[in-house]
Amino acid sequence: MGGLQKKKFERGSATNYITRNKARKKLQLSLPDFRRLCILKGIYPHEPKHKKKVNKGSTAPRTFYLLKDIRFLLHEPIVGKFRDYKVFVRKLKKAYGKSEYSSVERLRENKPTYKLDHIIKERYPSFIDALRDIDDALCMSFLFSTFARTGKCHVQTIQLCRRLTVEWMNYVIASRSLRKVFLSIKGIYYQAEVMGQLVTWLVPYQFSHDHPTDVDYRVMATFTELYTTLLGFVNFRLYHSLNLLYPPKLDTKSESELKEANEDDYAMNSECYLEKLSALSASLARVVSTAEEEEGEVDQFPVEGEDMEKMEAREKEQKQLEAHKKIFEGLKFFLNREVPRESLAFVIRCFGGEVSWDKSVGIGSTYEVTEETITHQIVDRPNTDKQYINRYYIQPQWVYDCVNAKVLLPVEDYFLGVTLPPHLSPFVEENEGDYVPPEKLKIMALQRGEKTAPEQEDDNEEEDDEEEDDEGDDEDENDDEEEDEEGGAEENNLKKMEEQRSQGKSLQVKVTPGKMKVVDSARLEQEEKAEEKRLAIMMMKKKEKYLYDKIMFGKKRKTREANKLAAKRKAYDDAEKVKKKKAKK
Amino acid sequence: MAAARRLKRVVASQPGFINLKSTSDAADSISSRRKRVNKNKKKNWHKHSDINDVEEFLEDVRLQERTTGGLLSEKPDDNLFFLDLGQPKKAEQKAPEPVEEKKRRKKVSRPLRIDLILQHDSLVPPPKDVLAHQQPNAKKLRRIAQKAEQLAAKGVVPRRQKQLLRRQAVVRTAKKAVTEANNNPDREYYDIWGQETKSPGDPWFLQQTGKKRVKRPEKLNEKPSVLPAVEVIAPGGSYNPDFFSHQALLEKAHEVEVKKQKEEEKIEKQLAVNKEDTATEETTFREQVEGLVEEDEEEEDAETVPNEEEEDVTVGAITQAEKKTEKQRKREKAYKIKEQQRLADRRQTGRQQQLFQLRSIKASIKQDEEKTETKQKLRKAKQEAQKAQPRRLGKLKFQPQDMEVQLSDELAGSLRQLKPEGSVLKDRFKSLQKRNLIEPRERAKFKRRLKVKYVEKRAFREIT
Repeated sequence: MGGLQKKKFERGSATNYITRNKARKKLQLSLPDFRRLCILKGIYPHEPKHKKKVNKGSTAPRTFYLLKDIRFLLHEPIVGKFRDYKVFVRKLKKAYGKSEYSSVERLRENKPTYKLDHIIKERYPSFIDALRDIDDALCMSFLFSTFARTGKCHVQTIQLCRRLTVEWMNYVIASRSLRKVFLSIKGIYYQAEVMGQLVTWLVPYQFSHDHPTDVDYRVMATFTELYTTLLGFVNFRLYHSLNLLYPPKLDTKSESELKEANEDDYAMNSECYLEKLSALSASLARVVSTAEEEEGEVDQFPVEGEDMEKMEAREKEQKQLEAHKKIFEGLKFFLNREVPRESLAFVIRCFGGEVSWDKSVGIGSTYEVTEETITHQIVDRPNTDKQYINRYYIQPQWVYDCVNAKVLLPVEDYFLGVTLPPHLSPFVEENEGDYVPPEKLKIMALQRGEKTAPEQEDDNEEEDDEEEDDEGDDEDENDDEEEDEEGGAEENNLKKMEEQRSQGKSLQVKVTPGKMKVVDSARLEQEEKAEEKRLAIMMMKKKEKYLYDKIMFGKKRKTREANKLAAKRKAYDDAEKVKKKKAKK
Repeated sequence: MAAARRLKRVVASQPGFINLKSTSDAADSISSRRKRVNKNKKKNWHKHSDINDVEEFLEDVRLQERTTGGLLSEKPDDNLFFLDLGQPKKAEQKAPEPVEEKKRRKKVSRPLRIDLILQHDSLVPPPKDVLAHQQPNAKKLRRIAQKAEQLAAKGVVPRRQKQLLRRQAVVRTAKKAVTEANNNPDREYYDIWGQETKSPGDPWFLQQTGKKRVKRPEKLNEKPSVLPAVEVIAPGGSYNPDFFSHQALLEKAHEVEVKKQKEEEKIEKQLAVNKEDTATEETTFREQVEGLVEEDEEEEDAETVPNEEEEDVTVGAITQAEKKTEKQRKREKAYKIKEQQRLADRRQTGRQQQLFQLRSIKASIKQDEEKTETKQKLRKAKQEAQKAQPRRLGKLKFQPQDMEVQLSDELAGSLRQLKPEGSVLKDRFKSLQKRNLIEPRERAKFKRRLKVKYVEKRAFREIT
């Protein structure tokens, strides 16, 4: 055996990784700067598979980066800027120390700054890439825009975040792309469909900030720095896709409506325009000032290998979506002062409603309480003194529930002082056989266009309705089972007759007037289908049959569990009812 | 020279002027000894001719010119004399003027003494500066200008100007704008994905000069975790939740809490003092008496005895090593060969037997394969599950956030009365950690470098 002696840790995974400290030294940056650079460039630490090998025999926990990543970082021009900034700070300190205020001023004028545009372009080579990553950016921007200006982060950052979020909300309104809203105890979750991408973001409630101490604000600020740049470019692109002016401008018509004599009461002159935009009550100006864009029907051509049924389903879905976008069209809302204005205004405007509020609440109100054409007034207090007859006084949850249910729900459940039905999460998607809460079943029935009994009826009847619904659902889910049952019923009849015959009783022979046998075509079709299915099952191979049985068993078990839960719920409801009755007495 | 000549002429015309010869005579008469000098050389003229009188005269003339601006003899009488009319009347009139004004005027009118000294007091005008009116190369320049005019009339632009014009034609970026801060709220955005700018120039040149950006490796665009950016809270987290989903969430939170408690209890148990370890009266007494009683020592002696015997045995074992005889060796060798043969035969028969076991072998192989397959599946599933898990990226492990839960009696009846739970900021931060974008860290603890010393101040001490 000849050759050089092989040394340990000079090849393999040990050479592919680099510890954080070494990487930092290689780049000649301080730790905070290094961390910032990694966040901006999208380079994250790695957990090596064999830590001991990578760590040169030591088992101490360390943060590792891929060496190639760090090499890539060496080419980044921003690194130079970071070093410049370090020098700038040093000079500034020195100048302050010597109290040379003229040089302090000069230094401040020439403060080194950097742009992240090239990093955005590099990390997100196409617009869709950027759109896929917009969730984080939105969450962060909404979060930072609600911060108080107390010095936890730069005031300028807060202002920029506010501007960008307002632009985003205006875009969502203009494109009507909001789909779901969920009021949670943490904040409000929104989901929109932008250019085919589902975008989810979380908005904190207003004024709900305590500043947790175990959060690294510097890291968060760095992320925000990157994300504000990203969001700005995305906004620009989105606005242009709708032919809107990019730094958004209010429509001339609506702007004149918004013109008020005492604008100075609300905001400073410099902030007035942003405030008006953030009121969300006016539409935006377009590049080509067409009053209404014609929305021609898109001709649809069947794609190869796609049958008519699928296409029809798609069309139906499209129609539903269109209807969903317009659920509040023609309705006029008025917000009382105790409801969350921005969220409600945003949601209502997203679905075509008109909205206003009291003049003293904020800028941008379009009509007064006394307006006769208001259809809904949103109130969140037990009662109001003065009520108009021709409008509904409802609680804010109605708006959100309507959006999630995709239909206008009956307002009776949401009147003033009424105990609200639960606010269900639209983000839960029940599979077949899962337990579905009765409230959701009701909504589903409404969506299908079935009319539930009016609310004024007795509780009992309501319950019956629910049960019916339940059964109906079961039918949908496993129709073949039900078929079996029906077959069973016929058999029962025959059996009875046979028994009677065996007992020696003469059959009751009667001549009855003939009845027209109504041929139910739908039923026939169903039967046929069931028959086909049964045959298919019969034809299965043993292996497949085994699998099929297994699946069916699983399904049945699930339904059993769901039924159990439903029964539990019913028992609970009954108990509640009894309690209520007792309380009434 | 001309001026000097003129002077001489003037001097000669003066009435007091005595010719050269006569002066030399006078000099001769003064000096007793006459000196003979050749006068055919200019040098000698300078040396041996007395020109004092001429100099004096010329000095006088210059003085006159300086002081009066010309020769007194040439001046008209008006300039030399005036009529004496006695004391002038004007002086009397001026006298009654207020003294103060006079003083002030004096002060104003009287120039500084230094200025007076420096004033040019000669009345002879300075000679005209001829060079001031002359231009060097005037003729040449005039000719060039004429030619330029002619060319301009024709419309021909000189080369130099042409070059200048050409330089202006190059696009010059207007003054480099000061880069604004990144978080400027009024910053401009543009279509970053729209224009596909083809960088002008040779790619090799751009790369070598560091003007071309290094391409981002494709691998960096993969996300380090499969988790979504925003995880929506469970349906029980609604502000007005459905009863069952709320119960489910509560149960989950309860489980987490129980787990935490169990861990705490475990640690407490481990740290608790064992009752058997505590000192009783008996043990303390024993400890005190330790070493005083002799019995223990005897026991120890008894123990040591058998050890020695053992040692003897081991020593004996080493000594036993005898040489084998030739016969023994041969027998051993034969036995060894025989044994090998036997084993080989056995193997051979076994292999032959396997031919009849083919079916069972096949079955066993199949079983093994199935086993490996299931194992592979399990491993793959585990890997998939691992992808959604936070990795260990540093000193600390990822600690999930406390679950946000409102108890049944904390739930608000309406949106107005809702008290938000948890912090969105923390949620975002933990989400970043969970997705392996940043490593979990603890806030750096404040370390005091120098010790704090408490000293009572004198003022304080006086009071107490």
